[in-house]
Amino acid sequence: MRWWRADLHIHSTLSPCASLTMSPPRIVAEARRAQLDLIAICDHNAAENGRYVRRLAAGAPVVLMGMEIQTAEEVEVLAYFADEEAALHLQEELYPYLPDIACDPDLFGDQVVVDEREEIVRRVERLLLSPVALPLAEVVRRVEERGGIAVPAHVERVPGGLLAVLGLFPEGEWPQAVEIAPWTPVEEALAAWPALRGRPIVRGSDAHFPEEIGRAWTEYFIAAPTLAELQDAFRGRGGRKVRPSREVKEEG
Amino acid sequence: MELAKIVADLGWETLVGADLTRDVRDGYCSDLLSDVLAHAQAGDLWITHQRHLNVVAVGKLRDVAGIVFPRGLRPTPDVIARAAQERVNLFLSADPAFVVAGKLYRVLHP
Repeated sequence: MRWWRADLHIHSTLSPCASLTMSPPRIVAEARRAQLDLIAICDHNAAENGRYVRRLAAGAPVVLMGMEIQTAEEVEVLAYFADEEAALHLQEELYPYLPDIACDPDLFGDQVVVDEREEIVRRVERLLLSPVALPLAEVVRRVEERGGIAVPAHVERVPGGLLAVLGLFPEGEWPQAVEIAPWTPVEEALAAWPALRGRPIVRGSDAHFPEEIGRAWTEYFIAAPTLAELQDAFRGRGGRKVRPSREVKEEG
Repeated sequence: MELAKIVADLGWETLVGADLTRDVRDGYCSDLLSDVLAHAQAGDLWITHQRHLNVVAVGKLRDVAGIVFPRGLRPTPDVIARAAQERVNLFLSADPAFVVAGKLYRVLHP
């Protein structure tokens, strides 16, 4: 086992709020520049660009399929999948649960699927920056049912953080790990939310612009950069460990 | 003012009436439960669109006089059952949140 550096929260051209320069080639180049071993593309309620980033990266870095799902409570949850089809099926399944509001690019930005040659594959019509009409527990169930891991995003942050929105962790085992925002010091998060103790804390860059990729990361002491190993690391199995980077200076 | 009188005057449906004799201090509006935890006061009537099960826990922790769901947003049976178990009053109003708050304000601050 060794330490692997992961940034598992990167947006792309498919997020209206992210830069149109966040194409697969640019993301791969920036991830290599930041010496990341493992990344995940987590667009709002969408997974599709992950497929092109993954093809282009060809294992350097390893690319997990991901999404940042916004639940009916307006809680944001990162979903990670090893299997491309599982992620794409979930994307398809969630789409009808989005409100029927068209994305006005002038107001919200473009949401485009871009392939590994930087060609636009398609535009997504419904605004992805919306909650799906499914409650948190149901979203987590659907992610796990498809073999994915669900990690609540930037839990202490408004908007969208699980603790900020719902005040407490829901009852039960979930979540096994929690993400905090790139700019929140771990000690500060723990002081504000004692409930965070005892759960692995991770962070990602939440990059919306290329230069933000790798500004915050998490190191995993695991045998290989796979979803199953991450799951074991969250459970602390066999000496596996999780170590978030320090916070970035200013709020992005 | 007594909760029962407010509920009757404003025409709310009582989903859980664990204790309608409570004295209502004031009102609080928020859909962010962390904000409610930090700022709602004991005896407040809390108006919220949030219907996750955690509203019951937060209402109980802050000892609110009750939780009011506006715009006919009926919580699921598990929320109602938990509120009954925890003795947290729950109400439903057909009015949108702004109107619920406006009417409540008039009653509490005549």
